[in-house]
Order: sequence, then structure tokens, then C-alpha cells
Amino acid sequence: MTENSNPTILLVDDEEMVLNSMKSFFAIENNYNLMTYTSPLKALEDLNRNHAHVDLVISDYLMPEMDGITFLAKVKEKLPMVPRILLTGYADKENAIKAINNVGLYQYIEKPWDNEDLKLVIRNGLEKTTLLHQLEEKVREVERAQRELSEVQKDILRVFA
Amino acid sequence: MSQLIQSEKMAALGLLVAGVAHEINTPMGAIHSNNDIMTRAVAKIRKLLGPAPDKEISRLLDILGEICRNNEIATDRIMKTVRSLKNFARLDEAERKTVNIHEGIESTLTLLQHQLRNRIRIVKQFGDIPEIECLPNQLNQVFMNVLVNAAQAIQDRGEIRVKTWTAGDAVKISISDTGIGIPTEHLSKIFDPGFTTKGVGLGTGLGLSLCYKIVQDHHGTIEVESSNQGTTFTITLPLEA
Repeated sequence: MTENSNPTILLVDDEEMVLNSMKSFFAIENNYNLMTYTSPLKALEDLNRNHAHVDLVISDYLMPEMDGITFLAKVKEKLPMVPRILLTGYADKENAIKAINNVGLYQYIEKPWDNEDLKLVIRNGLEKTTLLHQLEEKVREVERAQRELSEVQKDILRVFA
Repeated sequence: MSQLIQSEKMAALGLLVAGVAHEINTPMGAIHSNNDIMTRAVAKIRKLLGPAPDKEISRLLDILGEICRNNEIATDRIMKTVRSLKNFARLDEAERKTVNIHEGIESTLTLLQHQLRNRIRIVKQFGDIPEIECLPNQLNQVFMNVLVNAAQAIQDRGEIRVKTWTAGDAVKISISDTGIGIPTEHLSKIFDPGFTTKGVGLGTGLGLSLCYKIVQDHHGTIEVESSNQGTTFTITLPLEA
């Protein structure tokens, strides 16, 4: 995520009304780019095909084609650094939470959701992505510096050898 | 036998209720969120209009704002009812759970609200009680049955007092009403299966016998005291079942 471009959020829910509501909310509150899908399979297909840049993924839990946990696990294979959020209206939360621990999700949001909570969870998730990217960048810098240093060391050794 | 059929019915009802609650949640979530978006949009429009907006536009925005507030109250009510239904039905039927029974009492009272509203004052005197191991949805049936009876015993206006406290190794719950009371000659029969004083189609005569059975399964007791000033049911549930 570059500093001044708007973050992109991928949102999957088999219910169009949920997608529409969230789209409207972010249209009025934030300038996120939203990619919305009613089909998790279609979302995976697009992710695999056009390496679209995605900063955060939100998925419903109960969907006819594929449940949200399976979907998010597949997203993780593809985009390990991107925070994944589960949306759950499931009557029995416990199973969902167990699954969440197994897949290592960033957060879960319960339906009916509160927009303010949603906003906060997403903002924190995006912040996490930014920090991870910065960390990645720093690690690369350190590695580069170390490589240069060992080159210099080799040169020195060559001179004195 | 009838108790078996009754509890099977309750289990089926529990599944149905949980399914319906889940089914309502998604569209409810969308409406709840959309209403919040409308509220935010109205606030933004007001800001854009500046300090001296057109009178008619301002009036229309006031109406929209009022509707949004109204919708919020309405959706909150539905969500609260759905939560109570889910809580009441508790899918984990067969599972014993360690819970605070105040939760069950609160859910039951919420579901009964329409029967009580304006007519009956609820006084809650909840004591500091420990959590107990029990079958929560079954105990909820007990609270429901006793509370419905209490509400029906009050002819016009009155009060239902729900009290909880700890007594030794047991938790006690008493539910008192200011209703017409139970005639002395009926007191010994009220827990008998099939005994009812309600008209045909109004009572099955199974409610209190089921309560008796459930409390017995929890190794507890249910007792009744009654006069023409009202009736008190006292349920005693041991901490260690």
C-alpha cells in the first residue's frame, strides 16, 4: 500500500444487501476501494488471475459455496500478510471462534454489525498492513546493508590477505 | 409420557427459533447499518447546507432525522428480541453448562414483555449468586411457565417480584405475584400432569408438572405458597448437582 493511494478492501458475502450496505457506508465515510463478491469462488478466481492489490479481506461465514473460514484460509495462502476478517451471524459463535483460532484471523465481526466497530476494526487492520509493509521494507534495508558490509569485509580481507 | 412429548416439542421449537433468529439477523444487520448510514448522510447534508439553509430543505431533513431515530429504536427492539430468543432457545440443549441464571431470567422477561407491559410492574431483587451447572434452556422453561402463570393470575394491575439469593449450598429463586392466588384445595394438585383451571385451549395442564420434572432433574425443589393476596413459587437449586 503506497502512502497516498486509497486502500482496497475485498468483501465477500452471499447476501447482496450486506454488500450494498457496507459499500454505501464506506462511500460516505472513507474512500476505500471496494471489491465486492457474492461468490467466494469467483473472488478466489479473480485473486488468482489478476494479482489485484488487496489490503484487507472481509468474508461472511455461512455461504452456500464455501464457508468463510475455508475461503479466508485460501486467501492466506495467496496473501499471507493481508489481515482477514470474518463476519459471523452464526447462531453458535463458539465453533466460529475455534475455527478462527485455527486459521489465525485478524478479527471477527458479529452480525448485526455496528458500523462504528466495523470502521475501527478495518482501520486497525489497515494500519497493521502498513506497519507490516514498513517492517518488510526495514528488513530489506538491513539485509541490503549487511550484504554491502560483507562485501566491504571481503574487500578488506582481499587487500590484507 | 406427556412430559417426553412436551420436551421433544420444546427441542423442535428451540431449533426452529434458533433458525428463525439466524434468518432474521442478516436482513436486520443490513437495515440497522443502512439506517446508520442515513443518519450520517443527513448530518453531512446539513453541514454542506451551511448555517442558513432553505426552510423547506431543513424541514425535510428534520423529518428524515426523526425517522432515522425512530428506525433505530425499532431495530434495536427487534435485535434485542432476537438475542433473547436465541438465548432462550439455547441450541446446546443436551449440554450442561455453568451459567448465571440471571441471564435466563432476563431473557425470559424480555420475551414476556408484551404480556406484562403497562399492566404489571416487574421488581427484580437479584442477589449475588454464583454460577450453577444446569441445563439452561430447561430452566428457562421453568421461569417462563411460572412467570406466565403469575401474569395470568393478576387480573388487572399488579406486581411480579423476582428474587434470587444464596442459601447454604443452594441458589434460591422466588417469583411472587400479587394475583388472585390459588385456592387451598388446588394447591396439592398444581404439579400433577393434566391439572388445569384454565379454559379449554388455554392451558394444557402440563406447564407446572414439566417445571416440577425439570427442577427434580436438577436435584432441586419447587415450592408454592398462596393466599388471596398472591402466590409465591420458590425454586431451590443445589450448587453441586
